[in-house]
Amino acid sequence: MRAPKGTARFLAAGVVATLALTACGGGGDKGATEEKGGQFTYWSMWKETEPQAKVIKAAIDKFQAETGTKVTVEWQGRDIKTKIGPAIAANKAPDLIDQGADQIFTSLAATGQAADLSSVYDMEVPGEGKKVADVLPSKYVDALPKDPEGVNRYLVPYELVSAAFYYNGADPDLKTVPQTWDEFIKLCDTLKAKDKACVASDGDNSWTNELLLDYLIVRDNGAGALGKAVADKTGAAWDQPGLKESVKRVEDFVKGGYILKGYDASKYPAQQTNWAQGKAAFHIDGSWVPSEAQANLADGFQVKAMPVPPTKGGNTEADLVMFGFAVPKKAKNPEPAKKFMAYFLKKDLLSGISTEAKNITPRADIPAPAELADVQKMLADNPSRIILDNAPGDYMDKVFTPAFNDLWLGKATADQFVAKVKEAQVTYWKTAG
Amino acid sequence: MTATLSVPTRARRARVDPLERQQRRLFWPFVGPALAFYVILFLAPIGYAAYTSLYKWDGMGAMQWKGLGNYEILLNDPAFHTSVLNTLKIMVVGGAATFVISFALTMALREMRGRMFARSVLFFPNLVNALVFGIAAGFIFAPQGPVNQLLRLFGVEAVPKWLSVDNLPAMIIATIVWTSTGYYTTIIMAAVDQIPRYLYEAAELEGANAWQRFRHVTLPMSWDVVTVCAVLWTVSSVKVFEIVMLFGGGSIVANAPVETWTTAMYVYLSAFSATSVPKFGLAAAAAMVSLVMVGVFVVVLRRIMRRDRVVL
Repeated sequence: MRAPKGTARFLAAGVVATLALTACGGGGDKGATEEKGGQFTYWSMWKETEPQAKVIKAAIDKFQAETGTKVTVEWQGRDIKTKIGPAIAANKAPDLIDQGADQIFTSLAATGQAADLSSVYDMEVPGEGKKVADVLPSKYVDALPKDPEGVNRYLVPYELVSAAFYYNGADPDLKTVPQTWDEFIKLCDTLKAKDKACVASDGDNSWTNELLLDYLIVRDNGAGALGKAVADKTGAAWDQPGLKESVKRVEDFVKGGYILKGYDASKYPAQQTNWAQGKAAFHIDGSWVPSEAQANLADGFQVKAMPVPPTKGGNTEADLVMFGFAVPKKAKNPEPAKKFMAYFLKKDLLSGISTEAKNITPRADIPAPAELADVQKMLADNPSRIILDNAPGDYMDKVFTPAFNDLWLGKATADQFVAKVKEAQVTYWKTAG
Repeated sequence: MTATLSVPTRARRARVDPLERQQRRLFWPFVGPALAFYVILFLAPIGYAAYTSLYKWDGMGAMQWKGLGNYEILLNDPAFHTSVLNTLKIMVVGGAATFVISFALTMALREMRGRMFARSVLFFPNLVNALVFGIAAGFIFAPQGPVNQLLRLFGVEAVPKWLSVDNLPAMIIATIVWTSTGYYTTIIMAAVDQIPRYLYEAAELEGANAWQRFRHVTLPMSWDVVTVCAVLWTVSSVKVFEIVMLFGGGSIVANAPVETWTTAMYVYLSAFSATSVPKFGLAAAAAMVSLVMVGVFVVVLRRIMRRDRVVL
């Protein structure tokens, strides 16, 4: 009878983990360290050996030396999402955490557990004479979903990710990139005639594959259309012609045979690697792809990016995923943690995210690494929107993804997709309570 | 008379007692700590899970009373139905395959030379982390991978799409069977080794063929062990988790597709999905259902498999 205990136990494991964590992560002797700059605890989403961790660690060391604040860091890695809840429940929350905006929303903000960081945006970036709000374009944070109190400044971002089509700038076939969806399809046809696949995709990489439909829905219907359709408890919203049109585009794309063969039975990252080796022209994914595919890039591969081209709808929003800091409402020392956020946004420190961690920062005056220059420009020049309009993860798992997989793997038509989503969506909202 | 009789009885009881009394006195000090551990580490969490399953809880804020609401959700959630069905498939189909293969191997290995070595080889997959299989499957069963190359070599042009979502549940069961066969073969072989050779010799003299020797000697003589193995299998099949997590999406890029979920996966994703608000109440309810499910299965299995012990 050990199995069910196993499952039941992992609820208890949270409690045990909390006890263990409080032993090492807690504030310790509070009164004693209140001297100079105070102190705070920080749980990082990075492991100590990751480049981001090194950049943040260097900043913490400087911050401690300059302000006399004592920072207790735990390099938790991605497990934060499972650990933060029990820590908050046990009233032993760290003072500062970092995570992807989507996870901060679901693990903290959506349940009213994230502190309002508006005051950080009013702080001065030390030594620059500018406020945090002046160096962080507000459109990024404005795109975030609001918490129960209507706040969306529960995050101070330091790294941006977007989704785009990546391609080889050195490929003679791709000298001019398509400006509209129709041009894109035309290019795909040209490539097909040359026996070259247009797009590489791994069939099991659903989240990534969904990016295309997600973008097309925005292009055809404007930002927020998907979110509205998801929230409709009757599912009827999916019957809008605009949404169906976007789904149809994907159906046609699949039927057009533009996707590198074998994708319906491949396991990530097999086809991504094939793309890196030049077997397909484009690959749509998050902006981590250039570094992920780095080791496999064909000789002379020049990573460039282009947005999913606009349709006649003319909408040009760019997908946005932010990584940044948040403070749990129950944190005991939020003030020094907030000071550190403003401190880390200093140009010289934040630059490390670009130069060492090879990612895009939210500051327009810090150039992105060369391979992400296109993405940085895309983010800067277009309105921002959150990927999949922040649809809940379990909605994606239970409703959208099963239907989408059928569509993407060529087993369902647009109408069948819509019917399947509608049906599953009604059940989802019935059982969502 | 009665009075005189009752005195010696009492006296006798008092006289016989010292050892028993000592034993009784030691009963709680000996059993107590183990029992306390058991209660604290096992029963209390189960009780807590049962309690949590009656609430809506994000793991941080206040718990909202929901009564049997979470169980109602499970009743109506197709994802949970799929999870239960997959778990049952692993238990029944995977179990049958594992035991048939284990017995076949036991029979084949019983008289083989170098069987200790063969046994180690068979046991080996059980030592390897499921992670390895999850990753290896991506290469081995890729559209242009070694398996399909081999099939093409034999002229099979319509190679199967091994890793497509439709085939994943079957692939998962096959992997589980492959990794556990060695484990159960080892246990069953240990039992079969204990069967005296003369029983087989006698059976052969009586003209029994291989199947009859298996049916009338091996099976009855190792029945107790087989029963234990069946219970172990049932219990472990409800825990299947990491292999599901690794097979589809690899947990790096996407959650495992709902078509492959097991109850353990359902519990995990309800509580710890990266991008939805944690539903600890629902997770606990699903865990309670699995607990009841495995409990019922084990009891029924024990009933069905109960036999009088063969004593030599």
